[in-house]
Amino acid sequence: MSTTQQLTITRVGWRAQLTDLGRHDTELRGVPAGGAADRLSATVANTLVGNTVDQVLIETIGPITVVSRDPWLAAVTGAPAMVTIGGSAAAQWSTLLVPAGQPLTIGSGTGALRTYLAVGGQIQAPRFLDSAAPDQRMGFDQSLTNRTTVTLAESHALARVEWPSPGLFRFDVPRLTSAADGCWTLRVVPAAEHGLVPAMHDLLQTHVYRVKPESDHVGVRLSGPVVHPEGPEIVSHGVPVGAVEIPHADDELILLGRYRTLTAGYPIIGVVARTDLNLIGQLVPGQTVRFTWIDRAEAVTLAAAQHAALATLARTVQAAFRACLMTAN
Amino acid sequence: MSTLALPQVVEYGDSAIMVTVDSPDADLRQRRVVELRDAFTSHRPPGVTDVVSGLESFLVEYDPIRTGPDQLIHSINLISELPPTAGSRNSRVFDLPVCFDDDTAPDLPTVADELGLSAEETISQLVEGEFSIVLLAAAMAPMMSGLSLPAPVSRQRQPRTNVPEGSIMIAGRHAIIQPFPGPTGWRVVGRTPLTIVDIARAAPTAFAPGDILRFTRIDTTEFEGLRGGFLTGTTS
Repeated sequence: MSTTQQLTITRVGWRAQLTDLGRHDTELRGVPAGGAADRLSATVANTLVGNTVDQVLIETIGPITVVSRDPWLAAVTGAPAMVTIGGSAAAQWSTLLVPAGQPLTIGSGTGALRTYLAVGGQIQAPRFLDSAAPDQRMGFDQSLTNRTTVTLAESHALARVEWPSPGLFRFDVPRLTSAADGCWTLRVVPAAEHGLVPAMHDLLQTHVYRVKPESDHVGVRLSGPVVHPEGPEIVSHGVPVGAVEIPHADDELILLGRYRTLTAGYPIIGVVARTDLNLIGQLVPGQTVRFTWIDRAEAVTLAAAQHAALATLARTVQAAFRACLMTAN
Repeated sequence: MSTLALPQVVEYGDSAIMVTVDSPDADLRQRRVVELRDAFTSHRPPGVTDVVSGLESFLVEYDPIRTGPDQLIHSINLISELPPTAGSRNSRVFDLPVCFDDDTAPDLPTVADELGLSAEETISQLVEGEFSIVLLAAAMAPMMSGLSLPAPVSRQRQPRTNVPEGSIMIAGRHAIIQPFPGPTGWRVVGRTPLTIVDIARAAPTAFAPGDILRFTRIDTTEFEGLRGGFLTGTTS
């Protein structure tokens, strides 16, 4: 029995592309890791369909509709959006069975930018430096358009058994923390140039910054009060994802994204905590953000907790899927 | 490695540190940092996820669940005391055909003016130079030292928005080649017809840091004839 199947993208509202968790160890060669802007959502989506976390999945800004002649497993995470299967509402952050011929539709995200659609099995995709993540700067485009067909090399066996109920699985899923008032809080760890501009410490913590429309996957630009450091120009050096940079403009901060230019000569006062880098990938132009300083030890504790929660989810999903397949056989 | 240039480490958030070396001499700093970076990448401590090269520094990215600044600083201090490993990899030499006409070298006249040279003298100095690849910058662009002009070259006042691929660009004491069309604040002084980065290849570049590039002057007709070829080198 062949397990290859086709998925057809029947509608792309604005932008959808294939991606994964990005490249490993290519930054020394000048290629940013890149990959899913919100790694938490991408990781959870793949986990919920029984995939390893590094599988290829779809990252979309705006609506998308996907259909297949065969049943398939799906999970939708990221920005809150209306999800339907064959016209009936379906849950996000959950394992879904999409019956043969029924379209799965994701509406526009609200309050966050990107949604993720993972498919149980292996999506076939071109690769560059061992990753399917696009790299626009180098001409590696993974955009999906209307009527693009995606091949699943190995669909999940669970898609081919009879489910007793459509909402079979309920998992305790780590997810993006939504902001009640629409203003997200990013936790920031001090970086090397923090001490050069002492006034920025309180300024950053007491003001609200607004996401500018010029933001993209390279960096998110924020408008709000800044203080510039005195002293000589900084020799251009490597910068991490999440760096909070003060450029030359009078009222602007930049948060570096996963497709950052790898080196920069602007002062970096802090770096967004590892767990909150996902939020950078979800900021919508016009939205507001707040910052809270935390120390490195606190940031590492948060990262370890998230890591453990994701590992637990993976174990639970695998165990549930195994049990379900055994019952079905 | 000399004890005169001790490694210095600063933290950049919860998953990165930056390594520099302490010396008042910029040339020495740059040389030592390349030695230390090469030693670090060939004796890579566990938990390190990637390294980003700067001109006088390198950024070490790590998984904070597996390692931390204290362990990394300890490793870097040990590595800095190792004898230099230069010569472990043979550096290759690349002869790069470069055209210097009005179309391919739009900033040549103003660079020559700035240096008090004629355009021909500037070209001669570029062609006589031997460039060494210090690091691969954005999109695998080779960043090179060895620019032997009488003075550092200033940047463009108004950045150019779309410079063609293959453009040879200079600023300060460095030269770089643009692998893909894009913007730049550097001065464009020539162009190679060869493709230097090809993402369809398993090894997208033939060159690596430590390799040597020399420019060979070609004319407009030769430029057209060589267009689209891929740059390969010879082991020295």
